[in-house]
Amino acid sequence: MDKKKLMILASLLLFLVVLVIIYVNLGGTAGPERPQFISSAQDESQSEEPKEPLTIILFFPSEHDSLLHREERDIIPESSLAQQAKIIILELLSGSQQGFLSPIPPETRLRELYITREGVAYVDFSREIMDKHLSGSSAEMSTIYSIVNSLSYNIKPIKKVFILIDGGEKKTLGGHIDLTSPFQPIYDIVAK
Amino acid sequence: MYKFRRGIPKWTAVFSALFLFLSISSAPQNQSILIISEQDYEKYSRVTIQSDRPLSSSVEKSDAFVFVKIRANSPFRIQRESFRSRFIKSLGWSQGSGSYTLTINTENENFSIDSFKIQNPPRLIIDIYPNRGQIPPTSETDRIRTSSQTLDPECIVIDPGHGGLEIGARGKFGTLEKDLTLAIGMKLAEIARQTRASNVVLTRDGDVDVSLEDRSAIANNNKATVFISIHVNGSYRKGAAGPETYFLSKDATDEEARRLAFLENNSETLENNIQAEDEDLIKMILWDMAQTAYLKQSSQLAEDIQDELNLLWGTRNRGIKQAPFKVLTGVACPAVLVEVAFLSNPQEERKLLTEEYQRKIAQAIYQGLAKFLRDNSR
Repeated sequence: MDKKKLMILASLLLFLVVLVIIYVNLGGTAGPERPQFISSAQDESQSEEPKEPLTIILFFPSEHDSLLHREERDIIPESSLAQQAKIIILELLSGSQQGFLSPIPPETRLRELYITREGVAYVDFSREIMDKHLSGSSAEMSTIYSIVNSLSYNIKPIKKVFILIDGGEKKTLGGHIDLTSPFQPIYDIVAK
Repeated sequence: MYKFRRGIPKWTAVFSALFLFLSISSAPQNQSILIISEQDYEKYSRVTIQSDRPLSSSVEKSDAFVFVKIRANSPFRIQRESFRSRFIKSLGWSQGSGSYTLTINTENENFSIDSFKIQNPPRLIIDIYPNRGQIPPTSETDRIRTSSQTLDPECIVIDPGHGGLEIGARGKFGTLEKDLTLAIGMKLAEIARQTRASNVVLTRDGDVDVSLEDRSAIANNNKATVFISIHVNGSYRKGAAGPETYFLSKDATDEEARRLAFLENNSETLENNIQAEDEDLIKMILWDMAQTAYLKQSSQLAEDIQDELNLLWGTRNRGIKQAPFKVLTGVACPAVLVEVAFLSNPQEERKLLTEEYQRKIAQAIYQGLAKFLRDNSR
């Protein structure tokens, strides 16, 4: 009789444990699991329905005048603004497809890009942007404003752009334009 | 024995006669001069002591007097110019052992002094401000007016761009921007020195590195009337040509203007609370935004210089431009950056290499500068 009672108790306990395990696996403890839940949902939506291509406008200097010129390009939209901004810089680094001039030395790499809550984009380039740069005020201006205008025009929350080199603040690219303050876009220097 | 003893005074006499003769004959050439002059301005009186050799001095205020002590290893010839001042009652002069003392008597102890030295020729300047409380200007227009009041003595600071390891732009034929800026800057300084009675200072007169901060500090330490930075342009475009004159863009000064407003609104609290070690930091912030107050005058200076350069190069379309140039941000006077031509353009490079063109460019910049100084003199 004691044995029988013990058996019943044990099986009841086992049944309870199984019930608890099933309950937990079905998502009963939603709280701590939430971040995973969202990120996986994002992955799903990206893989399931490919988004419409997005048209962006890049700004390049031209051989014919001292202005910046628009060049349209289609990109695949990214989930975050920083990712989208990175794509814009990579497109700018790859140069013009319509015969405009390249304002950034081709050896330059984008190291990092992040956007603050206040709308300042910090763009961190490898040191080639400075070391291989063609010196001269006009050259520095076209490099800086092709970057600043391309980012600000396409991503409205970006109000200012701060250019970093090799992870840190530098004074100038080649002794002229001040890199220690963030830049606002200038559209006066864009061809109509 | 007797003869030998008599010989000594004889030789001594000959030597001392010779020494006396030499010292008399050489004295007038070696004697330095001190010229003391005084001038009244709206808010202060300025005493200037000019010499032909560097002055070692101390300035001290005591009650209603200012004592200016000038150390001297050899005597000075003193030249006093007549003066008539509202604030200074008398100027006294006395000679001590190895020094001279100028006593300025104001008959009123309620004043403060500011003294500084400038070179070419060496001058010691003592400004006397009666009741300092009224002196700091409160608005931008006041600040500009104050700056034009202190146009005397005029000081032109010329900044040949780059230098040393900083070569700047490089032309197709191997010409370096740093060499051209120095050649043109030296010529401009020469023309200015020959034409005007002003203090002309170069931020560098050789192939040396000078940081961008030091260049503006040189201008501010010399209380510059104008600051002209000389550069030669470089562009990705092979066809880019012609001169361009820049002044600092508003954009670059927006942030500084906000900080200025903050400082102005809180200056009373700040003045009372600043620790000695923090004072340097405050000065640094103020220097950072120094150019903000001079943008209007700077744009006028840029226009005057660009007009002359357009005449020289036969260019028309290139106007004055604004850009956030690092070297201009801290300069506390009208300041421009002149891109005399494009080194990336082989035709312009060839012209820039000739002494003749360098001189023509220097002359054109000088004419623009002279017009600006004429229009802005009191």
